[in-house]
Amino acid sequence: MFWKQSTTGVNTKEVKAILDEKKAKMKLSLKACAHCTLCAESCFLFMGRNKDPKYMPSYKFLNSVGVLYKKKGKVDRLDLGEMRDLIWERCVLCTRCYCPVGIDIPDMIALARRVCRSQGVYPQYERD
Amino acid sequence: MVKAERKPIEEIKDAINGYEKVLVTGCGGCVSVCLVGGQREVNELNAQLNIYLKNENIEKQLDGYTVERQCNDQFLEELEPKIDNYDCLLSMACGAGVQNLAKRFPKIPVFPVVNTVSIGIDKDIGMYEERCRACGHCVLGYTGGICPVTRCSKGLFNGPCGGTNNECCEVSQEIPCAWLDIFNRLKAQDRLDDIKKIYVPMEWHNQTPRTIIQEPYEKRYSV
Repeated sequence: MFWKQSTTGVNTKEVKAILDEKKAKMKLSLKACAHCTLCAESCFLFMGRNKDPKYMPSYKFLNSVGVLYKKKGKVDRLDLGEMRDLIWERCVLCTRCYCPVGIDIPDMIALARRVCRSQGVYPQYERD
Repeated sequence: MVKAERKPIEEIKDAINGYEKVLVTGCGGCVSVCLVGGQREVNELNAQLNIYLKNENIEKQLDGYTVERQCNDQFLEELEPKIDNYDCLLSMACGAGVQNLAKRFPKIPVFPVVNTVSIGIDKDIGMYEERCRACGHCVLGYTGGICPVTRCSKGLFNGPCGGTNNECCEVSQEIPCAWLDIFNRLKAQDRLDDIKKIYVPMEWHNQTPRTIIQEPYEKRYSV
């Protein structure tokens, strides 16, 4: 029996439409990432947190846009919540991450943020 | 980070008077952090404006959209397909963001929603204090990390004025004298010699927009 993910509370059509706008770039970026980890040291958050792999730009990009792409936009609120923590709390979008094969990681993170924003998922800065 | 506060609702209402379709554009940068121009504040402003307009029987289409940062062209790209549907834009970004947005879409009027106030620190949730005026000539090295341009009402560079009164500024008994704080900090660090030197006053006049190019990039942008 197949398990069907509940996407209640997420306008998956809207998510898909946003992803489609950058489908080619997203697909190529995901395909091109060789998991070489060379982007890691260009991230000050990665360097400042004992090189925690969860702060690697590639990790952030693969676990946000990668998930959205893989699920073809059919994500649930939980997915988006997890994504929010990843792309806002572990990334300040300083746009300084460097990829030797030329993946525009900041653009990909910005795309994931855009998807989250479209569904009302964004950081709460007044949170304690 | 840049700190800002929202303009009075009347001023915002006046700005969009005569425009039917309005896009309120939020910014996910500094103004989001200081709780004045992020996505939530866009929704709040729209709700508030809708109530005002309804009470006055005025019909307008008010939409909201938040981009990551309005001071970066890269993040304005996503607005491109939407812009033609609107008569004007309300920008919730700082002055730099508003100008960048207006430059990117020169055919459509852009109105600011917030007043950019300062470069400041987060004192508490929703409470911010000015710490820097971006004067372009940082003297914190010799003033013990206390900015005389921002903290001293007269922006003095060489010690307090005659108005210092019971450890406070003559402007208000609630404002501590910046120069007393500078003196005390330097004394504690045994660095009082730092303020014995006379420093020339800041040249505020004839300022033109400052563009900076970081040293490693000088070659890249040289003509």
